[in-house]
Amino acid sequence: MKPLPLHGIRVADFTWIGAGSFTTKLLADHGADVIKIESSGRMDSLRSSRPYKDGVPGINRSGYFADRNSSKRSITLNLKTEAGKDLARRLIATSDIVANNFTPGTMEKFGLGYEAVRAIKPDIIYIAMSMQGAAGPEHKYLGYGLTMGALTGLQFLSGLPEREPAGTGTNFSDHIPNPCHAAFAILAALRHRRRTGVGQYIDVAQTEPTIALLGPAMSDCSANNRIQERSGNERAPRAPHGVFRCLGQDRWIAISAWQDETWAALCKVLGDPPFARAPQLATAHGRWENRHTIDQGISAITCHWDAVDLMSALQFAGIPAGVVRTAADIVDDDPQLRHRGHWVKLVHPEMGESVYNAPPFRIHDAPTTPVAPAPMLGQHTDEVLTTILGLGAAELETLRREDVLT
Amino acid sequence: MYEAAIKAGIGERGEVWSAPDAATSGTPAALAGVRVLDLSGLAGQYCGKQFADLGADVILVEPVGGSPVRREGPFLGDRAHVEFSLQFAYFNAGKRGIALDLDRPEGQHILRQLAGDADLIIEGEKPDVMERRGLSFASLIASNPKLVMTSVTPFGQTGPYANYEAEDIVALALGGLLYLGGYPDTSPIAAFGNQACLAAAQFASVASMMALLAAEKDGGGAGRHIDVSIQECVTMGLETAIQFYDLEKTVRKRASGEQIMAGVGVFDCADGQIYLMAGGIASTRFWENLVNWLVDEGVDAARQLLEPAWQSHDFLATPEAKTIFRGSFAPFAEKHTKAYLYQTGQSRRIPICPINTPLDILTSRQLEYRSFFVSQEHTPSGRMLTVPGAPYQLQETRWRQARPAPRLGEHTSEILVGLGYDAAARAALLKSGVIN
Repeated sequence: MKPLPLHGIRVADFTWIGAGSFTTKLLADHGADVIKIESSGRMDSLRSSRPYKDGVPGINRSGYFADRNSSKRSITLNLKTEAGKDLARRLIATSDIVANNFTPGTMEKFGLGYEAVRAIKPDIIYIAMSMQGAAGPEHKYLGYGLTMGALTGLQFLSGLPEREPAGTGTNFSDHIPNPCHAAFAILAALRHRRRTGVGQYIDVAQTEPTIALLGPAMSDCSANNRIQERSGNERAPRAPHGVFRCLGQDRWIAISAWQDETWAALCKVLGDPPFARAPQLATAHGRWENRHTIDQGISAITCHWDAVDLMSALQFAGIPAGVVRTAADIVDDDPQLRHRGHWVKLVHPEMGESVYNAPPFRIHDAPTTPVAPAPMLGQHTDEVLTTILGLGAAELETLRREDVLT
Repeated sequence: MYEAAIKAGIGERGEVWSAPDAATSGTPAALAGVRVLDLSGLAGQYCGKQFADLGADVILVEPVGGSPVRREGPFLGDRAHVEFSLQFAYFNAGKRGIALDLDRPEGQHILRQLAGDADLIIEGEKPDVMERRGLSFASLIASNPKLVMTSVTPFGQTGPYANYEAEDIVALALGGLLYLGGYPDTSPIAAFGNQACLAAAQFASVASMMALLAAEKDGGGAGRHIDVSIQECVTMGLETAIQFYDLEKTVRKRASGEQIMAGVGVFDCADGQIYLMAGGIASTRFWENLVNWLVDEGVDAARQLLEPAWQSHDFLATPEAKTIFRGSFAPFAEKHTKAYLYQTGQSRRIPICPINTPLDILTSRQLEYRSFFVSQEHTPSGRMLTVPGAPYQLQETRWRQARPAPRLGEHTSEILVGLGYDAAARAALLKSGVIN
């Protein structure tokens, strides 16, 4: 096995909550030394967010925090003190990357804005991930994952046309678009630094990556003057395409069988039902025109099927079909994720054994699992200050007495 | 296209790879000199775009009949034609294009020649297809030790589902995100816009970039094969659902259509909807601002929202609290526009946002300030398209306005010339249908 791809890269990590922490997790899980800098006065608020191990609250018990902070180290520095700021600066001097996702101006208040940091470490890669970017008329506006979904159009476009916009039901931007884009930008900047010796400032507005993913809807609006509407599970010109009820409590299957071959195969698996023999359903266009009739006809049959059995039968016939899995299903009952070793159980000092996502790809010849569970608050303060900054026991004691390491 | 080029005598000179263009400042692009072959279609095309936009030379390798994405809407002027797909135009901007039949030995030979000095191949075929073509990672890396190959497939290269069929909605279903979308009284509802494929493309970009960095650092001999599963990428977007199940043994369900807790949710306004997030994590910090705003706006019923009960998360989660809150806030919101509620609410430090339509986004003053949207030529029609630009602003190595997406076979000739194919050889390949 080769070393992890980011071995040797250090991140002074001031990120918190969602998108920022997830970005540095991607780096940490692949070998970067990510040092998360918190303080007990201003800790990552996810530490006090549900769910907690066994439902018992505690700053080292949140699964919301844990999943976004695997493989990192945590130190506590009181950045309101001069000595705390000084330690942060010394740590930055040994780092390759500084990351934050505060509202613009916050890092400057700590004396850790880009210009100040560049003075300490001229080739630093400094990434700021505020909600709407570093400047502009709305750059100081408040926001979270859910309000971001609203701003980006993803919420407006997802759901049923006659109901309120539904979105994904999650803080989607926090978990995929923003961390992936930010990590890609950081990695590209690392390449540039290696080739030229020059670091740089990266500004990611947490709205923009998700909007970038919606490019075709934007050009449909700008070029065709069409504001796309929510369309539930319909995807023109595909029919049938959607989610159909199966046996059991809230069990469903997703099926897409709109081409002539897959439609014929679907009819066969469903027992050649009379409704499907109507001549107008012989063409893809005819199926689209009659999609509501088809959906009803399919549901009337699938509701007597076990979802897993039906998926197997449909896939055996070459039809794209998948059980609508719950969180419990994908952790306990998905043979493919099990085969890939996606879920990793890590033992956390306070939470005990709990489940983490492995990265969603395998790199041939390198391990791809989280290196360690999420850190407890300040778990690595002494270790980091001793091994990286060379502080001795007496100095640590003094700093602790002066309220610098809280 | 290509036939016309031959007649016009175009393409007698060519290079396989473009020379890295130095920016005007003299700073090279972040990915200058990186050579990418994008064979991927729907699942990986955004990965190729991300590389192209930061300066890599990306060649899209399409089937001779064109990428399947060319048949995906929306279409410019609703004209369903291979050169008019807005989806293709957007996700393939910045790439050059060669149309090549990879199921024919001559096409496979050309791909092997191209792979000989590529840095990255992005592909999305079923697990055994590249091997059957003699284009497996193992065979390609033998003649190019620094090669990174990223395979983006629905379920990964091996395992019980490796040969399962999937479209986007199927991957969303098996990855667990679909179950969280929609309303309690409806079926689960999928996120808009191929988010499973796009998730995979984004993770493919991150993984490919890490592997490229490692390959360059090691100075050769360090190519790697990356196996991206679209299903697994979807599981990264489940927020707390896995942890709620693992730690508290509760299974999260879809919940749109009602407030998550009092003060958190969608509310109608005069010209659409807004999202208000005054409870939740933020409740103690922003609740008072919200109530003061309502009182100042003459909503007397809001005064009760300052009573002690409203500081309790348990109370905020009750139907009673949601009903009382809606009774105070909804009639007020319905009288005002998205823009008014957004600007006024935010000026009072309340997390409130419009539920933007694509038109709202195209006309956003914040995005305009950041010059987010760019104008891009659609070559077949000569029209200019307004499309999203830089999703990240790198101060030194700017995201760059990319060349338009290639027309079908637009660069076939120049690339083949660069590989040493003379006019007669190219004409023979065209005649036999290996290229387009």
